[in-house]
Amino acid sequence: MTTSAHMTTGAQTAVAPARARTATATATVRRRQGFQHGGWFVAPFLALFALFVIWPLLRGVYLSFTDANISGDDASFVGLDNYREALNDPAMWDALGNSAYFTLLVVPCITVLALLLALLAHNIERGKWLWRLCFFVPFLLPSTVAANMFQWLFTQGIGLINETFGLDTPWLTDKSYAMLAIVIETLWWTVGFSFLLYLAALQGIPEHLYEAAKLDGANAWHRIVHITLPMLRNITGLVIALQILASLQLFDQAVVMMDFSPGPELATRSFVQYTLEQGFTSYRVGYASAMSIIFFVIIAVVALARMWLLRNREESGR
Amino acid sequence: MAGSFGFAALGTGADALASNARTRVRYWNLFSGGDGANMIAMLDAFRTADPDIDVKDSTLQWGNPFYTKLAMAAAGNRAPDLGVMHMGRVTGFSPGRLLDPWDVGLLAKYGVREQDFNPKLWQRGIIDGKLYALPLDIHVQLCFYRKDVLKKADLLGDDGRMIPVTSTDEWFDVLKRAKAVQKKGLQTIGLWTNDQNFQWWFFVAFYTQLGGRWFNDDNTEVLFDTDKATQVLEFLRRHVTDGYVIPGAPTGEQFVNGAPFTWEGNWSVPVFSGAKLDYGATPLPPVFGSQATHAESHAFVLPHQSDRGGATNEGAHELAAYVVKHALQWAAGGHIPAYTPTLSTAAYQKLTPQNEYVGAMDHQATEPKVWFAGSTGVLAQDLGPVVVSSTMGSARPDKVAGTMKSHLTKLLASKNPMDGRTAAQGGAVA
Amino acid sequence: MTTAVQVRKSPRRPWTPSQIVLTLIGVAVSAVFVAPIAAALLTSFKSEAEAAAIPPHWLPQDWTAQAWKGLWETGNITNWFVNSLVVSVCVTSVVLAVSALAGYGFARTEFRGKTVLMGIVMGGLMISPAVLGVPLFTTVQQMGMVDTYWGMILPQCAPAAMVYILYKFFQGIPRELEEAAFIDGAGRWRVFFTIVVPLARPSLAAVGIFTFIASWNNFLWPYMVTNNPDLMTMPNGIATVMNSYGIQWAQLMAGGLMAGLPLIVVFVFFQRQIVAGVAHTGLAGQ
Repeated sequence: MTTSAHMTTGAQTAVAPARARTATATATVRRRQGFQHGGWFVAPFLALFALFVIWPLLRGVYLSFTDANISGDDASFVGLDNYREALNDPAMWDALGNSAYFTLLVVPCITVLALLLALLAHNIERGKWLWRLCFFVPFLLPSTVAANMFQWLFTQGIGLINETFGLDTPWLTDKSYAMLAIVIETLWWTVGFSFLLYLAALQGIPEHLYEAAKLDGANAWHRIVHITLPMLRNITGLVIALQILASLQLFDQAVVMMDFSPGPELATRSFVQYTLEQGFTSYRVGYASAMSIIFFVIIAVVALARMWLLRNREESGR
Repeated sequence: MAGSFGFAALGTGADALASNARTRVRYWNLFSGGDGANMIAMLDAFRTADPDIDVKDSTLQWGNPFYTKLAMAAAGNRAPDLGVMHMGRVTGFSPGRLLDPWDVGLLAKYGVREQDFNPKLWQRGIIDGKLYALPLDIHVQLCFYRKDVLKKADLLGDDGRMIPVTSTDEWFDVLKRAKAVQKKGLQTIGLWTNDQNFQWWFFVAFYTQLGGRWFNDDNTEVLFDTDKATQVLEFLRRHVTDGYVIPGAPTGEQFVNGAPFTWEGNWSVPVFSGAKLDYGATPLPPVFGSQATHAESHAFVLPHQSDRGGATNEGAHELAAYVVKHALQWAAGGHIPAYTPTLSTAAYQKLTPQNEYVGAMDHQATEPKVWFAGSTGVLAQDLGPVVVSSTMGSARPDKVAGTMKSHLTKLLASKNPMDGRTAAQGGAVA
Repeated sequence: MTTAVQVRKSPRRPWTPSQIVLTLIGVAVSAVFVAPIAAALLTSFKSEAEAAAIPPHWLPQDWTAQAWKGLWETGNITNWFVNSLVVSVCVTSVVLAVSALAGYGFARTEFRGKTVLMGIVMGGLMISPAVLGVPLFTTVQQMGMVDTYWGMILPQCAPAAMVYILYKFFQGIPRELEEAAFIDGAGRWRVFFTIVVPLARPSLAAVGIFTFIASWNNFLWPYMVTNNPDLMTMPNGIATVMNSYGIQWAQLMAGGLMAGLPLIVVFVFFQRQIVAGVAHTGLAGQ
């Protein structure tokens, strides 16, 4: 864990010195107590994990080399055919492009917006619970409900968004607006989560830093730029990483807002949606599995890249 | 309380707890809007007619979610007792694997026989000699027009119906004259320009009017004619470039508010009749010389159950037979009943505008009979968005026609994932 | 444990110009955030014709509860509500139990292969039904659990993230607390239940709250694994099953609010705990 101690538990901070003192005692106790039963603690979780995470992954790898269909009947081995087809499938690249485009739009917007909202809520002295409630409440709605609300708000003719802003934009039916509509919905729906993370981080910045800066005559802007933002660097990294991983997995909002269609001229068909279409609409489970594995690799690369960046930064002694 | 109730139901579902001694028939359909209301009325009539059968109907969202869920339920052996499908999807739905055949004797017991149907339609439901789809209706794409507007433009004949149109020039002339007298701020015609399903259906209709073919009889060769396709795509596109369409504008609402034309499925009849409009409906205009309009059929199917049989199965037969035979109510939804005795009843012949387009059933433009065809099937999913891109102006019509041909070539070579056979190898085709 | 987010009790200070400006901005932004929900609520009190009127308007001209009434009379909504409750409660209970045990096991016990297993579990952070949906579905299909509560519940019960959060917490508990008990002759399990679990209550609450929210709102997995409309959860049913009269916006909004309201009400009452929980679980990801 890379953040300062205030993020974690009080207990943890208190413990460090005590731990050193009792190291020897611990070793003795450990021997005497026969810790070999430890496996039983993790067994129930590992059983579920093996059945519903590891096994599907292995199964996915196996299926990706077959022409399996949805019926579960016998499938035959087709080697690398599915992967070859996937990598040459323009529709797959298109879908991947849509997910990437969505990610590219959402991540910076949500990060900046969440930070601004947190700064706002943190600095208003009255009614803190109210701001928190208002900014966070959309996140508590199921994805489909939020999407249905915006589908209605965006519908040309009967929607309140065009009406309120005096527009006549074909939000949901034109390929150049459709993804934008989904991005706006996503901002509204999920910014609350990142907002809370920022708010928590803001409240963890020691007050004395600000006091000292004030004594040095720094104004509010300087305090934000020179104290707040640097102190929020780690949390920003976290927000961005979580958002990238979540955004790449775009599905719920897009399908609900587009009535389960791939959007105008396929403009909003995400990678997940295309994979499920192949599996459940075209019944090509083998092909869909190959795409799932490709997607897994993409996600893994993003996650590993983040770990690598973090480690590098730590080593360079930030 | 609710929690413990739920625990008791684990694995079965809360609904199964409702005890019921009668025969329960679970029935999934995809009917919403006016169709949904009519179906419910017919089910209620059935419930009164046979109170021993408890019909548990569920409506799922039309399109892919429906077919996906029906296929998954059948594959997982948790299928409902009765379902509804589009006829075109039956071949690709792997009859025998995901669907069970009808017991024709049982159907006859409840009064439904082969001779009561259009022979071609009945044959579409037969695969490997067994009946898998019991047709309920034929539904077609129509050109709806407002008589009040057309009258002002002098576009109505003596019979009070729209004057016939036989070429694209005549058609655009009609639009021009209608536009001159229509309410300002509205579009002249609703074309669903950015809906991949409608655009695909319109394409199929006009491509068929031109006599275009898809594949040879053996399904080994693509005969798609890119010149004819380009002609159709340019025709569709011209509605936008000539300013008769506001892309993205809601079509039905515009029509109700005074737009002179809209092309819709016949299922919009109850909507427009409900709005008390003075309107008519003809099959899509034969602008390329011959009559043809896109047509599909709803059909009852028996989703695969490994233990199908007994009273529940018989109940499903009885229910389907009842609905097919009492389809006059269904015709109110604009559909042409498949059960021909209904067509000759006086009550049906009095229905307007149904009596204006009943002839459309003799000029059906349908998708090729291959495993990847059918309503929201792979073919429509692949080609629909491409047609939209031409109509909306994102891609040139001739280029789009080429793209369509390459899609068709690829599809023809591809194997039906359910049985591993290509269309040429007869992949699940009758 | 001191929670990350605290309501700071600052003495009431007089309104300064900057506070007035900030508060006004806060009100304006809040209005934007609440507007869609308010619009949904208002629309649920319109007639269906008014809900689809061109042009639309915010306030109902004729207030009517027909959408709410229709929801109860025609829909499966009560079924869905019960299903959602069953699934979320089960998922939350199982997740709490297994991830507390596993988090403790990884943090404080020794067994062969621990490091390797922990590494594999961390790898599991990258897997979700969105990533591996199709193979996961066929696995569940093979087990005969499509269209069952088990099929919806169990695959949501192996969240590596929650194990990691609790693992981090358990690492921070002073060892002396346990050791004193060991010396008194208490066994591993007794120590876990009588000493460790009570200490971990805030962390467990955080994990529980987060799991419940995630499970109540989950769409993708229940969507994939249920076909029978009677078995669907709220988010799934609302999105995929339309009642037989077409899209009725007023009713759809009423249904959506019914799916969302329970969590919103709970949030209003337990705001502090939930905020702490979400922030805590989120921050633990660092």
